[in-house]
Amino acid sequence: MLEEFGRAGFLLLFALAFPLAPILISVLLGALKIRPKHPNPVKSSTYECGVETVGDAWGQFNVRYYIIALLFVLFSVEAVFLYPWAVAFRQLGLFALIEAVLFVFILFVGYVYAWRRQALEWL
Amino acid sequence: MLEDLDRIGPVLILMVSAGGILLVDLALHERDRRWLPFGALAGLAAAAIWTVVLILRGREAVVFSGTYSLDSFSIFFNFLFLGVAGLVVLASADHVRRLRYQGEFWTLLLLATTGMMLLAGARDLILIFVALELTSISQYVLAGFLKDDRSSEAGLKYIILGAIASAVILYGMAFLFGISGTTKLVAPEGQASIFALIAQGESGTRAALFAAMVMLGAGFSFKVALVPFQMWVPDVYEAAATPVAAFLSVGSKAAGFAVLLRIFYEGFGPDSFIGSDWSNLFAAFAVVSMTVGNVMALLQTNIKRMLGYSSIAQAGNIAIGVAAIAASGGGVSLGASGVTFFLATYVFTNLGAFFAVIVISQRLGSDAIAGYAGMGRRAPLLAAALAICLVSLTGIPPTAGFVAKLYIFNAAVQSDLVWLVIVGVLNTAVSAYYYLRIVSHMYVSPAPDEGDIVPSPWLAAALLTTSVGVVAIGLVPFPLIKAAERAASALG
Repeated sequence: MLEEFGRAGFLLLFALAFPLAPILISVLLGALKIRPKHPNPVKSSTYECGVETVGDAWGQFNVRYYIIALLFVLFSVEAVFLYPWAVAFRQLGLFALIEAVLFVFILFVGYVYAWRRQALEWL
Repeated sequence: MLEDLDRIGPVLILMVSAGGILLVDLALHERDRRWLPFGALAGLAAAAIWTVVLILRGREAVVFSGTYSLDSFSIFFNFLFLGVAGLVVLASADHVRRLRYQGEFWTLLLLATTGMMLLAGARDLILIFVALELTSISQYVLAGFLKDDRSSEAGLKYIILGAIASAVILYGMAFLFGISGTTKLVAPEGQASIFALIAQGESGTRAALFAAMVMLGAGFSFKVALVPFQMWVPDVYEAAATPVAAFLSVGSKAAGFAVLLRIFYEGFGPDSFIGSDWSNLFAAFAVVSMTVGNVMALLQTNIKRMLGYSSIAQAGNIAIGVAAIAASGGGVSLGASGVTFFLATYVFTNLGAFFAVIVISQRLGSDAIAGYAGMGRRAPLLAAALAICLVSLTGIPPTAGFVAKLYIFNAAVQSDLVWLVIVGVLNTAVSAYYYLRIVSHMYVSPAPDEGDIVPSPWLAAALLTTSVGVVAIGLVPFPLIKAAERAASALG
């Protein structure tokens, strides 16, 4: 039992070492003057998926995004759960079909609720 | 599988009525919303009737491959939680009518009750956690439901501290699963349970088991408000709407202790090799909770904060019963039935006190204890109802609180925990000061201004039920004691 936890411990050590090692190597190479250091504004700007950065991360967002994000997460998770059910549909049979319908129905109640409470309106 | 569905029928009914109220509320006009509490009451009544039918047909069994147990313990708590929710619906009908989101309030109340009923019957760590989150998340939202500054702050405090407690519980559960490889507390036929695997486990498991026990104990102590996990109690009780505070004070405490009995008494067992460890853990919780709760309650000038600290002290009293279970060294113990019985009396007593506070605070516009002066003349019946509950909280006959305290102290004495009883009795003396101070304030001090205080019919019905209950249990405790003993016998 404890040996198996030990294996998980090795994984933890490896997971820590993996991101730390490149940073240490970079610092080491810099200190030994092997790595050239020629910074310019474009080079030291923040990389953001190839898009030019706008402001900093502390900017304020419209609080309404959170409801949209919440609904998005809800229904994307629904889709994720339905996918394995759809793959194994033939083996699972009627019982799983009823369960899936119930699952979708419960989320549908949430959708109707959000709709009627004007959570989807963008004022 | 499907033929077992009727055994969780009461839970399903509550879930469906919660969803139904949410949808119906969307279609209703503003003035028709006053019918919603009747919908909530109808759902609770239907669940109670279903439970009675289950008893009559003798459907008690462990179902869903050992996940849920319909036994006398879960049936006892089904009735207890349905009763709590019913009384809270009566007490909050007036309050909710002033709110913007009415359907949501009733839905959350019913969902929290659903989670509590599942908790009392859960025999599997996963179901325990899911039911716990259903209850807790509903209660977080209810605590912040007023949406003013203080209520929001209380809700946020509750959710952050509660989430940490849930994480600690989950970590403890992960340890248990890591040791035993199963999530079942008790084995169904031919399968292994946590306890069976622990009993035959290797020597290295004791440390991990001890860590799991401490984490589960700490996490659930947060839910039942035992010191040192009580920080949220006074703030949340003070800032949340009073009916919500009433619901939190009895509902989450009863559910928390029910699941503690399930995990520690039924799962770990009193005569296992860690039995004395968890007995000592809860004895320590009991001593610090009673002492800190009572001493802090002495200093309060706000009655809701005072009731908050008093509920911490009462949680300490109940923890005496939990400690007594395992301290008996494997013999028959009154501890489990003591906890069950104490919770039932505590429901009536504490709800009654909160309901009287709802009526009086509504009129006075503040929760200051000073405002209760002369209440005996201004509102004789209301003052009497509050006085009965405060006397019962102190533990003076002929009220339910006296019988409950006697029973639980007796259980401790029989388990050789005399020192714990001495601490408990000393604390009762301290608590008498702040409980009876309010009683004397109501009857002796002159009233600053006259004017009757009349509760609404809803609240009057709720107050009448609790006051009659407190006195009736105090005078004729045996039927309820029998029921509690039967409930506890399902665990041992």
